[in-house]
Amino acid sequence: MFKQCLVIMKREIFFMWRDQSLRNILIAGPLFGLFLFMGIYNHPRIDNISTAIVDLDRSSASRQVIAELKNTQDLKVITYPNSFEQLEELIKREQVIVGVVIPENYGKNIALHRHTKVAVLIDGANITYATNAASAVLTVTRTLGAEVGVKTLVARGIQPDQAKEAYQSIDFREEAWFNPTLNYAYFLVLPLVLNIWQQCCMLASCMNIIGENGVRSWLQIKASGISSFKLFFCKSIVHIFIYMLIVLPVYFLAFVFFKLPLNCGFIIFLLFTLVFTISLHSIGTLISSFSRNAVDASRFGMVIALPSFVISGFTWPIAAMPHWFQSLTWVLPQTWFFQGINYLVFKNQGWEFMVNYFLMLGMMSIICYSLAALFTHGFKAHFR
Amino acid sequence: MEPVIRVRQLVQKYGRQTLFNGLSFDVLPGESFGVFGFCGAGKTALLHILAGVDRFKSGQVEVLGLNITKSEKFKRDLGIVTQEKSLFRDMTTGENLDFIAALKKASQANVGQVIERYELKDFLAEPVTVLPMGVYQRLSLACAMLNRPKILIADEIIKDFDLYSRNLILRELRQFQAGGGTCVYGFSSIEFCEQMSQVGWLESGQMHIYKPKDARAEWDRQVKFYSEQSDGRHV
Amino acid sequence: MKQILNIAYYEVVHIFKDRILFLIVFVVPLLYASLIGMIYASSILQHVPLGIVDLDNSVKSRTLASAFENTNNFKVIPEINTYAGLERGMKNGTVRAGVVIPADYSQKLSQHRLTQILTVYDGSNLIYGFNTRRYFQQVLNTFSADHTAAYLGGLGMSKQEITNVIDTVSVNMQIWFNPTYSYSTFIFPGLVLLILHQIGLLGIGLTITREKERNSWIQYLCAAVPQWKIFIGKALPYLIVNFFNYSLLLWVADRFVNVKVEGSPALILLLGLLFNLIITSLGFVVSLYSPNSLQVVRYLMLLSIPLFFISGYNWPGIQMPTLIYGMSRLFPYTWMAEGFRWVTVKDLELNYLNTTIIMLAIIAVVTSFFASSFSKRRNPLTEKGVTVNSDSTYPSKDLLH
Repeated sequence: MFKQCLVIMKREIFFMWRDQSLRNILIAGPLFGLFLFMGIYNHPRIDNISTAIVDLDRSSASRQVIAELKNTQDLKVITYPNSFEQLEELIKREQVIVGVVIPENYGKNIALHRHTKVAVLIDGANITYATNAASAVLTVTRTLGAEVGVKTLVARGIQPDQAKEAYQSIDFREEAWFNPTLNYAYFLVLPLVLNIWQQCCMLASCMNIIGENGVRSWLQIKASGISSFKLFFCKSIVHIFIYMLIVLPVYFLAFVFFKLPLNCGFIIFLLFTLVFTISLHSIGTLISSFSRNAVDASRFGMVIALPSFVISGFTWPIAAMPHWFQSLTWVLPQTWFFQGINYLVFKNQGWEFMVNYFLMLGMMSIICYSLAALFTHGFKAHFR
Repeated sequence: MEPVIRVRQLVQKYGRQTLFNGLSFDVLPGESFGVFGFCGAGKTALLHILAGVDRFKSGQVEVLGLNITKSEKFKRDLGIVTQEKSLFRDMTTGENLDFIAALKKASQANVGQVIERYELKDFLAEPVTVLPMGVYQRLSLACAMLNRPKILIADEIIKDFDLYSRNLILRELRQFQAGGGTCVYGFSSIEFCEQMSQVGWLESGQMHIYKPKDARAEWDRQVKFYSEQSDGRHV
Repeated sequence: MKQILNIAYYEVVHIFKDRILFLIVFVVPLLYASLIGMIYASSILQHVPLGIVDLDNSVKSRTLASAFENTNNFKVIPEINTYAGLERGMKNGTVRAGVVIPADYSQKLSQHRLTQILTVYDGSNLIYGFNTRRYFQQVLNTFSADHTAAYLGGLGMSKQEITNVIDTVSVNMQIWFNPTYSYSTFIFPGLVLLILHQIGLLGIGLTITREKERNSWIQYLCAAVPQWKIFIGKALPYLIVNFFNYSLLLWVADRFVNVKVEGSPALILLLGLLFNLIITSLGFVVSLYSPNSLQVVRYLMLLSIPLFFISGYNWPGIQMPTLIYGMSRLFPYTWMAEGFRWVTVKDLELNYLNTTIIMLAIIAVVTSFFASSFSKRRNPLTEKGVTVNSDSTYPSKDLLH
C-alpha cells in the first residue's frame, strides 16, 4: 500500500526531471529572476535626480538658491544650461529630469522686495521620478521661502527672532515606516521573484492530470486498477514538495545573501508559502482536469498567473481600483499571497491577523481539488 | 542512361548512433526502386533524405542531376506519400487538394484531373480526419501527383485498407510508370518485392541491391535459417 | 502571389477553426487591456487613508488637522486617534499615513518655542510611500504659509503686506507631460505594448509547431515553395490582426482609460508597423525552432515580467547597472516602449526618435531575415535518452480517440 505510493512518487520525480523545459523552468526560473531583479534594483533609491539650473541672474541671491538645491540629497545638479530652450531640449532628451529657472533680476527684485518667480520644471513622463523630484522641490521651496522671508521681514524692521519664528516655529519631521530608506528593492524584488516562481509552479501544476490522461500510458494505469485519488494524491505531494524545495534557495539567497528584510518569523513565513503553494497547485490541477491538452492547460494557467500580480494590489493598491472590482481581486489566491507577504515581510503581523489568510487559501484549495476530482471523474465516465 | 537519383557514400547519424554507414546506389529513369528493411532499418529516414526533407551527415545525393543540399528546384518534379499521415488535419479533402496544389504551383486543371482519377469527388467536403484509410491513401497519392512529378517517393503506400482503393492505387502507379515516371518505394512486406525493378535491402547501415527474385531468395534463406536455429519448429 | 495568398487564406481559416487560437488572436489582447485598464482606471492615487493623532486637541492643532481634511489626497480615518492606534492601523493597513501633533503643540507655539510635527507614511508599498510623501509636502507648504501669514497678522501687518512678504519668492512648479501624475498614463501604454508583444508572439508562435506536431510541415518542406513565401503567407493574417489590435488598444487607452495618447499619428503608425513586423517575424522564428507548442507557451509566458522590468519603462534605466541596461537594449520591447512614450506622452517629433526608429528597423530586418531564410531540411532526431514533452508531441486527450 505504502510502497505503491512511493513508486508513484518516484515516477513523478522522474517525470518532472525528464520534461526538459519544465526542469529548466523550475530550477532556473526563480533564481534567474532573483538575480535579475536584484541587478535591476541595484541602486534601490531614487536620489541624485539629475537637475539642470538655468541661472539668468548670476547674483549672490541666485547662487544661494543653487546652494539650497545642491543641498538636498534627492537632487543632483549636473549642468547649467544658458537658456530656457537648452533646458527644454535637455528635458526632452531625458538628460535631466528637473529643471530650475532663476529669472533675471532675481537678486535685485528680492532686495527690492518685489515679487519674483522661480520656475521649476519636472519631467512627468516617469512618475516614479516625478513624484520624488516634486517632494524634494517642495522641501527646498519651503526652506528657500523661509530664508528669503526672514530676510525680507528683517529688512522691514521686524525683530530677527520674530521673523524667524514667523517661518520656523514648526519643524516637520517625516518618517517612512516599515521601509525607512524607501528602498525599492526591499519593496519589489521578493514579490517579483515569487511572481515568477508562482508562474513556474502554475505551469508545472497544469500538467498534473492532463499529463496522465492525455497520454497512452493512461490505459496502463486504468488497467492496473489503482484508484485515481491515490495516484493524484501522491503526485500532488511530490509537486508541492518540489515547489517548496525550489523556493528555499530563493529565500536563502534573498534573506541571507542579499539581506532583504524579513520582519516576521521564518516558520510562519514558510507555512504561509506552503499554504499558498497548495492553493496554487489546486488551481493548476483544476485547470489540467478540464483541459483538452497540455498546451491549452498551460495557456489557461498563464491567463490566470500572468496578470495575477497586477490584480493582487501589491503595487497599485486595491483601494484605488473600482469598487465593484475590489472584492473580485480576492478570488485569486495570489491576491491573498502577495498581500500576506507584504504584511509578513514588512509589518510582522502575527498569527492572529494571518489566520484569515491561511483559512481562505486552505478553503480555495479544497474547492479547487474537489472540482478537479469531479471533472476527472466526469472524463473517466466519458472515456468508458 | 543518366540515373535520376544518384547516392554516394551517404552517412546519417542519430546522435551517436550510425544509421547509414556510406550508402551508394543509383535509380534509373522509369525504374521502380524498392527500399526494403525491417522496422527501424531507416527506410523512412532514407526516403525523407531523398525528398529533401531531412538533413544528412555526409555524402552526396543528386536528384535529377541536382545536388539536393544546394538546390530546391528538384522538388518541382517530386511527389511524396509519407508513411505517417501528413495531410492538413484541419482541412477538408478539397481544401487539402487546393492548398497543396498552391504550394506546388499546380494548375486547377490538375486538381480536377486527380479528383477524377482517384475518385475523390464524393469526399471533397469531408474533413481528412474522418476519411477511411483507403480513401485517405488515395488522397495522399493524389496530392503527391498534383504537380505531375517525374519521381514519386512512396513510403508504405499499400497498407491493410480496402481492396478497391488498393487496386485503384496500384493501377495509377502502373500508369505513372508507363508514362515514364520513376518510383522509389519503402516497404516492409516481402510480397511487394515482385513489383519492383530493383530492391535495396537496408540492414545495419548498409544497403544491398538485389533483383526482386534474389531479394525473395535471401528472405527465404533467412526465414529458414532462423527457424532452424529455434529447433526447426515452424510456427 | 497566389501561393502567398493561399497560405494566408488557409491560416485565416485555421485561426477561425481553432477556438483557443481565435480567442488569443482576437479577444485576449482586448480582454487583458480592459482588465488592466480597469485596475488603473482611477489613475491618480487619492484618498490615502490617514490617521491624525491630535494629542493637543486645541484650536491650533485642529487648524492643522483641517489642513489634511481639506484635501482630496487624504481621507482621514477618525477611528485612529491615538499613537498606539496609529501603529496598529499602519500595521493592519487601515491607514497608510499618519500625522502626530504633540501634546504641547499650542503651548509651545504661544511660548514661541520650536515645536515638532511628525508625519509618517507606509514605506512597504512605495506607490503609497512616494505619493504620500509628496502630498505631505504639499499640505505642509500650504500650512506653513498660512501659519506665517497668521503670525504676521498677529504682528499687525496688513493683508497686502503679508502677501507681499510671503510671495517675494514664489516657486512655480510645473510637471510636464503628465501634470496630474496619472498612473495610467505612466504604466498603461507599457503594459498594452507588453500584451501586444506577448500575445502576438503566442499567436503566431504556434503556427509552425502546429504543423510539426501534425506532421503536415512535411508538405511545406517537400514542395518547391520558397521560405520567404511561407513566412509572408503565414505572417500576413497575424500582421493585419496585430495591427488592428494595436489600433484598438490605443483607442481603448485613449477613450476609456484616460491615458494620454497624443503626438504625431504618423509616428505612432510607423512605430506600430515596425513593432508588429518584429513581433510577427520573431514569433515565426520562435515557432520554427521550437520542438512543440507546449515549450513555446511555457517559455514565452515566463518572459513577460523580466521583459517589462528590465526595459527601464518603470524603473529608470540609468539607475540599473550598465550590463543589465545594455542587455535590455537588445530587446525590441525596450525600444518600442520608450519610443512610444516619447511620442504619445511627451509629444516629441521625429528628430528625437531617430535612434529608436533606426534600432527598431534594424531589429525588424534581422528578425525578418531569419524568418524568411530558414533551412528547409530538418535535423535528424538526436538521441536524448528518456524525455517527456520534448519532441513534437505533448499530452492531449485527442490522442486517445
